[in-house]
Amino acid sequence: MRKQREENFFAGLTRREFIKCTAISVAGLALGPSLTIRTSEAGEPFTFAYISDAHLLVTDQGKEHRFARSLIKAVKDVNAMAPQPDFVLFGGDLAQLGKPDELALGKEILADLKAPVKMMVGEHDWYLDMGDKWRELFGKPTYSFDHKGVHFVVLNSVIVEDYWTSPKMTPMQRMLAMAQLDNPDGRPFTVGREQREWLAADLSKIDRLTPVVVFSHSPLYKLYKNWNFWTDDAEEVQQILGGHEKVTVIHGHTHQVLTNRVKDISIHGVLSTAWPWPYAPKGTPVYTSKMFRSDPFNNFDGCGWGYVNVLPSGQADKTYMLWDRNPMAVTYNRLKSKEAGMAPPERLSGPHY
Amino acid sequence: MQYVAIALPVIMTAALVASISAVAGEISAKKKADDIFSDTMKRYGKDVQVITACDGRKRVIVEGAKEGEIMPREKAKDVAILLNGLVKYCGAEVVAVMPKNRVDIHLSIDGQPFFTIDERDMKLPVTLVHGSQEHTGREKQIWKAEVDRLVAKGYGIFHSQITGKNGISCDMCHPDASNTHPETYPKFQTQLKKVALLRDMINWCIEKPMEGTRLADDNEEMKALEAYILSTRKGVSIESGKH
Amino acid sequence: MKGLYTLLICLVILALHAAAVGGALPAGILPPEEPVDNPATTAKVELGRKLYFDKRLSVDDTVSCATCHEPEKGFADGKKVAEGIGGKKGTRNSPTTLNAAFLELQFWDGRAVTLEEQAKGPLINPVEMGMPSHEALEKKLRDIPEYRKGFKKTFGTESFTIDHVAKAIAAFERTLVSASSPFDRFIAGDKGAISDDAKAGWVLFNGKARCATCHGFISVYPFFTNNKFHNIGVAMKDANFEKLAREAQKGTATPEELAFREGVAELGRFIVTREPKDIGAFKTPGLRNVALTAPYMHDGSEPTLEAVIDFYDKGGVLNPNLDGGMVPLNLLKKEKSQLVEFMKALTSDDIAQLIKSSQGGGR
Repeated sequence: MRKQREENFFAGLTRREFIKCTAISVAGLALGPSLTIRTSEAGEPFTFAYISDAHLLVTDQGKEHRFARSLIKAVKDVNAMAPQPDFVLFGGDLAQLGKPDELALGKEILADLKAPVKMMVGEHDWYLDMGDKWRELFGKPTYSFDHKGVHFVVLNSVIVEDYWTSPKMTPMQRMLAMAQLDNPDGRPFTVGREQREWLAADLSKIDRLTPVVVFSHSPLYKLYKNWNFWTDDAEEVQQILGGHEKVTVIHGHTHQVLTNRVKDISIHGVLSTAWPWPYAPKGTPVYTSKMFRSDPFNNFDGCGWGYVNVLPSGQADKTYMLWDRNPMAVTYNRLKSKEAGMAPPERLSGPHY
Repeated sequence: MQYVAIALPVIMTAALVASISAVAGEISAKKKADDIFSDTMKRYGKDVQVITACDGRKRVIVEGAKEGEIMPREKAKDVAILLNGLVKYCGAEVVAVMPKNRVDIHLSIDGQPFFTIDERDMKLPVTLVHGSQEHTGREKQIWKAEVDRLVAKGYGIFHSQITGKNGISCDMCHPDASNTHPETYPKFQTQLKKVALLRDMINWCIEKPMEGTRLADDNEEMKALEAYILSTRKGVSIESGKH
Repeated sequence: MKGLYTLLICLVILALHAAAVGGALPAGILPPEEPVDNPATTAKVELGRKLYFDKRLSVDDTVSCATCHEPEKGFADGKKVAEGIGGKKGTRNSPTTLNAAFLELQFWDGRAVTLEEQAKGPLINPVEMGMPSHEALEKKLRDIPEYRKGFKKTFGTESFTIDHVAKAIAAFERTLVSASSPFDRFIAGDKGAISDDAKAGWVLFNGKARCATCHGFISVYPFFTNNKFHNIGVAMKDANFEKLAREAQKGTATPEELAFREGVAELGRFIVTREPKDIGAFKTPGLRNVALTAPYMHDGSEPTLEAVIDFYDKGGVLNPNLDGGMVPLNLLKKEKSQLVEFMKALTSDDIAQLIKSSQGGGR
């Protein structure tokens, strides 16, 4: 077994496959040895990378600040991929406090990426100025595009009800309230009616069998409300997505290895470059292989980047590139093979909502 | 307006009188107790030993033990048990006489006349517990408010970015103080390479990931942080040493 | 009851061991792990000592264990990389045998679990002692009457094998232990045992300089290593690790062979585990007597302790697998010299005695 593994390892492999096979052999999570299964559906397989949740702060440490160093490292690692991914998704929370200098620093660092970048917004980017600077630097927060036969949708799924006007909060107060993950007065994320309508309209033009990949900052299901690992209108969004056969969701915000499957939708969380969140006290889906606790001495541990292989079938395999740890792969085959259906996250009791 | 002019001094005088009489009451109780004590001692002369409790307010006159002698162990044990029982008279001046037979104990509380209780029956009248009163509801409210204040202070520091110099706050890795495991201390902390208490680890986090300056062990902010972290683990059993 | 018997026997053996030989350890330190099948005896240690210093263990009779692990040179050799028969250069800096008994794994890449296993390696390494095979060495040594006698006395046979040779050498090496330095006396309460600068260095070691996480001092295991592997960037800057990793797969090379192939040797722990996270990672060495074992790092690339501190001060060398614990330290000049003073305080008080006794001079 080990010899076979070693042979697969290196014999004439490119870097990308080198990493893939490494991930499979050491993580032991995949079932089959080959990823590029040619089926009768001859969609072209491709890869995109992701970097997410940079949470940049601008201090007198400049680019030596550990969050900046981490983002720079992620850019270097993605640039070292051979072959290069088709594009790189940025998964939201580029800035920590939504400040213009934080966003500008993030744009500057990401500009070093060789592959094209698709940006997605997170709550830390939005709630200082309600997205003014974001739109100026990166354009519309909600959009869709097609790539090699796959339809991509990018949402702003961190819309919350107004909690700042009545108490007359300043912009920074609004931002700080949003920035605190365990804020007992926090409001749950939503996609919101406007975007749901837009999504339904957008997807109505897409054939049922066309693969759909949704980029969202919040998870599009309900995991743990206290930390806003939650999308309040998840059921409605899932209903809209349910009209398509092959849907994958890639989301940020949770800063950990996280996998779920709701009906037929694969939902993958991505790593943060800045710091890992602990697993929520309850609600972590049964599909998730949890990563071990990180070592706080090591600024990179528990963090990283990753990539997604879109298969010819239109489904996706996800690989987490954990810094200072072996990569972890979650393949579509494995997701499907687990017992069908997971009980919805249990009803949470508690004082906060 | 003139009512206020009259009422105010009257109220203030009343308050003054009340506080003076409270203090006076205390002074008079001590004096009375001292008088009873010296009267009793006159009767016994040198044939007794006097054992005083550490608060200076509970004096036990032990019959059958001569001044300057070392008390036999059994008797000393009995005296200790008696003193332990007298602690219930928190705040009161107590003069006790332990006769040779060790069965009847004579007690004088706050200079009142002696009464006798059976040593085997140290169940004390409820009204005499804790000096003269149970904890009042108000007292408990005050104590709780003080604890809540410290916890809230800790909550604030925990969730702010001022502790270190790089803008990282504790709640980034520990939302709701999760993953802090305060109930496992003291334990061998791998980052510190020695057995540590919760505050040692807090300081390590302040210094290393947060690049700040460590807090002294008796620093108020450190206590506040500990108070908050521990408050999130009420009811969790202590498992010190657990990795 | 059987368990109790075994325990008693083990304790007796430990006691004999401690009494018979070698460096005395302060109380409270966990003793080194000794394999059940290789208990120490006076005769075995003597035999091991003889073998350790015997150049006939090399193919051309020029190199012994002591050549690279010389008592007078801190039980190392003062060279960048080891030099074996015919001056052939290896790829690794010779680690010290002093206190090696306490390490969980041997070699910079941890490819040997026990001292016994480690001893077998250099014997047949073409750039170290160069014997064509273990059997060849067995034959050679069996021809020597004093060894026939010695092995008969210790192991009860004249037809001894390489395992016996390794066991004897390992038993000797387990006596090369020392944990009494000025720093130890300071920890025990003697405030005057080390200079103020060294004390400041100790504070920095646990604080700003971030050394303690990998080189931490634990009272029952005071050897300043966490026995783990970290990529700190030594020699990694220009290494193209994919290319190297592919090269590592040509043929059926063993970790031992790969460790001595130029270039591939820099993969470090990866050679043994084949796990991506171990690329360029090397074992954390202990720090006792570090002042005696220059030059430093797995390839001897840092000539002095000052150079080592500078290396860490700049945060190691950036490479794709750099350990996340490595960050620039911004140490002041004074702080750097205080750290060096602290490390000097780790030199054993009894080093002179140990040098003498290891060579057979009485205590």
